[in-house]
Amino acid sequence: MARISDDLAGLRNTRAWRSVFRGGSGDSNLHRSLAVQQNVFLHLASVKVRRRALDFGVTWYLGTLSLGCFFILVVTGILLRLYYHPSVPQAYADMKDLQFVVSAGVFLRNLHRWSAHAMVLLVFAHMFKVFYRGAYRPPREFNWVVGVVLLMVTLFLSYTGYLLPWDQLAFWAITVGSNILSAVPVMGAKIRFLILGGHTVNANALLRFYVLHCVILPLIAVLFLAIHFWRIRKDGGLHIGVDDGGETDE
Amino acid sequence: MPDDVMKPEKSGSPCERCTRRGAFTKIGVGSMAIAGAGSAVFGYEFLSPNVLYEPSPIVDAGKPDRYPPDSVTADVQNGIYIVHASQGIYTLSAVCTHLGCLTAWKPELGIIACPCHGSKFHPDGVKIEGPAPRPLPWLKTWVNDDGNLMIDRSEPIEREEFVRI
Amino acid sequence: MSEPKDFTASLDTDSRRTPVRVAFVTRRTSPQVQARYDTHVMTWPEVLLRAAVAVEALLLGLVLLSLFWDAPLEGLADPMQTPNPAKAPWYFLGLQELLHYFPPVVGGVLIPTMVVLALIVIPYFGINIESEGFWIKNREKKIRGLAIVVAALAAFLAWFEVYAVLVPTLLIAGVMFAAASESRKWLHAKPLSFWVMSWFLTAAIVLTVIGTFFRGAGWAWVWPWGAA
Repeated sequence: MARISDDLAGLRNTRAWRSVFRGGSGDSNLHRSLAVQQNVFLHLASVKVRRRALDFGVTWYLGTLSLGCFFILVVTGILLRLYYHPSVPQAYADMKDLQFVVSAGVFLRNLHRWSAHAMVLLVFAHMFKVFYRGAYRPPREFNWVVGVVLLMVTLFLSYTGYLLPWDQLAFWAITVGSNILSAVPVMGAKIRFLILGGHTVNANALLRFYVLHCVILPLIAVLFLAIHFWRIRKDGGLHIGVDDGGETDE
Repeated sequence: MPDDVMKPEKSGSPCERCTRRGAFTKIGVGSMAIAGAGSAVFGYEFLSPNVLYEPSPIVDAGKPDRYPPDSVTADVQNGIYIVHASQGIYTLSAVCTHLGCLTAWKPELGIIACPCHGSKFHPDGVKIEGPAPRPLPWLKTWVNDDGNLMIDRSEPIEREEFVRI
Repeated sequence: MSEPKDFTASLDTDSRRTPVRVAFVTRRTSPQVQARYDTHVMTWPEVLLRAAVAVEALLLGLVLLSLFWDAPLEGLADPMQTPNPAKAPWYFLGLQELLHYFPPVVGGVLIPTMVVLALIVIPYFGINIESEGFWIKNREKKIRGLAIVVAALAAFLAWFEVYAVLVPTLLIAGVMFAAASESRKWLHAKPLSFWVMSWFLTAAIVLTVIGTFFRGAGWAWVWPWGAA
């Protein structure tokens, strides 16, 4: 098959190809550096990392997995939106459509739901792992705060998404949750009224939660994710430190 | 050489920013602050819906003789209990004061019970047990000109008031 | 060269005051490097391919889950009928269990707000920066102090009958006292921040597990295996 690889190499040398992939392709460290540094999506990452950062035991890859989960949720979420009307009671009828009428509807809905649960679990695990290995210590304090904000965004995304099927589980979980909100002193009832768009959980609440879940909160999440990764870079990469027991490197 | 034009501070000059730059900065920042405050107010007003597609809080419960003496009638649709006691008729809200679940009347036990966290109430609204912080509120009840029993669910009343029929 | 000043050498884990890597050169000695210089590898392909494999493994697991287990969907929302029990999603069940013990202002607003605030300020408090083992210094004094704190907390929790938090508190306290003896090397050297977070994590897990499996209709206690 030397001919095919010759053809491919020929392809890669055309002007058209090189106008798109300016770094060229190859196995040298120069090519590998350019592949990251010249790429609009990847150049947030550094060109090199410390070898020990790759060890599974350092992070259990929890941050990476959380991000991967987020991508799965965005893709499945967008696909589900194509068959979902955020109105009452049409929303429930659409859930039934997804179950019985839409090809792979059951699968996509399941994937979205289980990925949501996995996301909450992974984000909590990530937080505890970062704490237990001391990766919040200076100079990484602010990144920890950004992480807590991302945790809150994740929980709110999960909470707003919970209402969208408009079944008994959704309706009463959100009713109880919004009543807890009204227990906030002074402003509780007002906040509840603003979030629900009314006095009870009804069509206004569904629409507001839909916009929160699909537009506002994902945008906030992406913004804070960008800050989160930027700070990792600026703080000197992942923390690979001494043990928490006060022992030094041997 | 316009040295004294370049030096903003002269001896005896009262303020540091009495320059054109300072004045324009103050005007610019000030107007942005006013615009920001205005946007916040308009944003809040926008987010607060002015029209609500919700049922009216006033409930027409029909003629009082639909409710026999010593009875508790649960109106699930409106979330109220219409109780005909010895002193007269009164109305309780059926919404649990803990976290807003709909309570249920248990005639065989003679109590009102909430399914969510196990709060239980007497037919006069007083709590028997459970995490509910307050008794079930009494609602304003009256008889209108047509002789129908009317209930206003929007505001609870303070004292026990009975409608005598 | 003039007489060098007298230095005191010590180990310090407080990264606010001391840089992590220091080469300390004395007279007539050669510098001894304690930590080797890290080798670097290229992000592409080392990091990115590993990340791709990890995410693909995650996707595989989630896809298998989705093919065989359906997400629940109950009946149409009915404002006139509250299901019994009305449970929140699992990550809020710990909170819902807490609401069983405390009024909504405390259990629903105060405690969650305090938890979030406590999380946010973690890296700004010295207790979390110093990673010196809790039992290394002042052992006897700390044993007495810890006993008082645990007793007070346990009394408070028992008074409000919050057994779901009382049991983890006593559990973690027990492990802490056990760690006081130097024979348990790994636990002995753990800092106080480790113990506080472990207490919080254990209590949160217990509350969530109870709320998920041990609460039935009317939020009454049930045994998950269906015993009466």
